[in-house]
Amino acid sequence: MNLASGQLMGGAGGGEEKTAVFPSVEWFEKLAEVMLENEASYRRFGPLDCTLVAVVDDQFFEVTFLGYGVESVRHLYALSDAAPSHFILQGPLAAWREMLENIRANAGPDLEHTLGSLTFRDEPLRIDGPDQLEIDAFYRYHESLQRFFNDTAEIDTTY
Amino acid sequence: MARHTTIVDTGLDRLREMARGNFSLAWMDSNPSGWGHTSVPGPVGLRLVDVETGHYAKIPERASGRAGLAPRGSYLPETITSPGFYDLNDRSLLWSDNAAGLYDEAVTRQWNSVTDIPWDLLQELPADLEKALCQMCTGLAGIEMVADDVTARWMSRIDRDFHEVKLFLATQVMDEARHTDVFRKRALANGGGLLMDSPCQQQLLSAVIQAPDYTTAGALMHILCEGFSLTLFHAGEFLAPTEVEKTIFRLCMQDEGRHLAYAVRHLEWFLRHHPERAEEIHSILDVGEQAMFQLTLEPQTIEPRAILGGGGLHDIQLGISRLAFLYARQVRDYLRRLKIAGLDREPRISIPVELPLKSLGI
Repeated sequence: MNLASGQLMGGAGGGEEKTAVFPSVEWFEKLAEVMLENEASYRRFGPLDCTLVAVVDDQFFEVTFLGYGVESVRHLYALSDAAPSHFILQGPLAAWREMLENIRANAGPDLEHTLGSLTFRDEPLRIDGPDQLEIDAFYRYHESLQRFFNDTAEIDTTY
Repeated sequence: MARHTTIVDTGLDRLREMARGNFSLAWMDSNPSGWGHTSVPGPVGLRLVDVETGHYAKIPERASGRAGLAPRGSYLPETITSPGFYDLNDRSLLWSDNAAGLYDEAVTRQWNSVTDIPWDLLQELPADLEKALCQMCTGLAGIEMVADDVTARWMSRIDRDFHEVKLFLATQVMDEARHTDVFRKRALANGGGLLMDSPCQQQLLSAVIQAPDYTTAGALMHILCEGFSLTLFHAGEFLAPTEVEKTIFRLCMQDEGRHLAYAVRHLEWFLRHHPERAEEIHSILDVGEQAMFQLTLEPQTIEPRAILGGGGLHDIQLGISRLAFLYARQVRDYLRRLKIAGLDREPRISIPVELPLKSLGI
């Protein structure tokens, strides 16, 4: 098995296609369900222990990963409500939408729409956090996080 | 028949006693304070951090020395004497609280360059891009092997009372070996090959090799060199012409993130115990930064990156301008990591925090 970003789609899956509006707690919870269904593919990368705060325009969603799944999803009213240890993936809705639509269309991101490509120049998406070591969690768990967003291909997302 | 040695005679005497039903069994009750220990696997399995509790989590500030080659927490018979093999035995000089957790993370996030890279997606590239990639891989293969050797050298000197650190460093040795291997493999796999070695890189690596102690070596190798590498790998994914390189950079990036997490927390620990030694760290970073800056602007380093950044030799100047962002980010993240460790390097940094491209008309 190789770990190319676009080649691991379609795990155990099964069942009816999930639909949800992005961004919303429900959307992230659906994605967590897909992660659970595809758990075997995440085991190849190793467990996670980190918290992602997704910032979409002025909305905040906290996703806490533990092991091979999502422990919790919360809508935050302010960034200050986030768990102390977290990193932030932020950008305008248009940038998120472009990434998700690209993943959905190609069953995985093309070369220009991986997390690494989209964040390196701090635009259209940006990685941030309370300190550099928290930000470094984005790098340490990168394969799993990319896989997590690849799983969005299995969600019929509306905006 | 040759006469037996005393050792053989003693062993045979013991065997005779056992044949008569006389067993010692002293080992069975030798370690009452360490007996009855249980560990409960968590959701991801049984981690090192799950077993190192109670009696077994007693980490000495200074290794006993007498323990010699014994595992920490075992009973030491009176006859045990230390062979004096380890000379890094002061916890303040090597510890980091996150070492055990990072070890668990490392062993569960291993990958290999044989089957985890989508080599089947290699494709013929324009000559300038292939040469740029191969030159970049030449430099990276060179630096990673030294990271391997230096880590292994220091690891072998650490007393085994601090096995969390030794185990983590062992994973790092494997990581660096894999990086050496994967960059070499990429250079040799697609019609290119290794290109030019770098005198400036040799200079930087010499400083790492000659660092006088574990912590200064770590500050130089991990926080400076690997910090810059991590950002380069993030950029590498942005620059990569195919899925093959993208996957390589992404996987290497994960490994570098762990190495930095240990190095930053170790430096923080060290400076908390030895604040008077901050100047030693500053001094080695003075040397390292100069070498790093020289390396960054050396033709065999900056030009291939610029060709990849610009999309080809014809747009190498555009590539240079794009690299300005990479450099600024490398320096910014490096300073931030040092600050977390308790070293305010910003007033002291000896290289520009940005490349002055605008003033040069680029």
